[in-house]
Amino acid sequence: MTRIDKLAVGEQLPVFERRGTIEHWNRFAAVNDEFAAHHWDYAVAEAEEFPAPFAMAPLQLAFFHAMLRAWIGDDGRIVSVSAKLRGPFFKDQLLTASGKVIALDHVEDEMVVDLELAQIDETGRSIAIGSARVALKSSVENDV
Amino acid sequence: MAESSETEGSLTESLVTDDMRNIVGVVMRESTSHPVAISDIRKWAIAVYYPELPPRQFWDEDYAATTQFGCIVAPEEFNPFAWSTAKPSLTDPKVAQTAFSEDELGVQPPEYKAILLTEIREQHGRVRIRPGDVIRSAVRISEYFERDGQMGRMLYTTLSNEWHNQSGDWVRTTESVFVRY
Repeated sequence: MTRIDKLAVGEQLPVFERRGTIEHWNRFAAVNDEFAAHHWDYAVAEAEEFPAPFAMAPLQLAFFHAMLRAWIGDDGRIVSVSAKLRGPFFKDQLLTASGKVIALDHVEDEMVVDLELAQIDETGRSIAIGSARVALKSSVENDV
Repeated sequence: MAESSETEGSLTESLVTDDMRNIVGVVMRESTSHPVAISDIRKWAIAVYYPELPPRQFWDEDYAATTQFGCIVAPEEFNPFAWSTAKPSLTDPKVAQTAFSEDELGVQPPEYKAILLTEIREQHGRVRIRPGDVIRSAVRISEYFERDGQMGRMLYTTLSNEWHNQSGDWVRTTESVFVRY
């Protein structure tokens, strides 16, 4: 969880990483009722001109949310998250989600933080870029 | 009738017809979830965070009682419409929460070879989804725009999906941008 009194533009969030595995994607398919065959079947993925099965976009968006939640803690809130999908997150690759503080604004009793987001795979290929806004509750002892 | 539009320096016939323009902002699909169960929230969180343990907020009722919410709440990206909804029911034709076609409103869609989701934008309200909540979804096409690319004229369509709970509180709006070419 982050500390408001230490916040600064340029701060990097702790990254969120996940390996692209069928075990993981099956679980997400099960809760999101999302069973397009190109997420698990090589033949279908290749027929669609992809080299391998790839992850579901909503799961990629969930990874951004998970990273933000870990950073803001239970008292923060996510205001918005956006992701432009640059390329598929292929099976067996390691996805790394990252974020950087780009603006801070004190609004009423909250510190509103704008972030730039990114997801890359282990080759450094861009999977997604995005942005987010979160709000952290200010308190007497950690007000800026 | 389609009209011509100039995009990135070229004059090409627009793929957006008057009929398509007329359905921008019109609700094309409404859904109502079943009451959200704690187990729905737990399973969602377990699936997202696999193989690691999800935060206690999403599965430990005793811990969740000590948080600002006083109970388990759903992760912001949680989908209460998966598998089955109160409306439409299982006996009705299935509708996707993400895919779309203008013909749902009786309008001829443009011809295309491929459709891809290119961008997702989510805005979250201050009200979180809690166990027992019933969520209403209203889907609209909110925007068309076009670009010329390597694949020729590409039609971008923004689908807006707005959620409210049983009290009328705004919970979330998801904008999904699809490209057809």
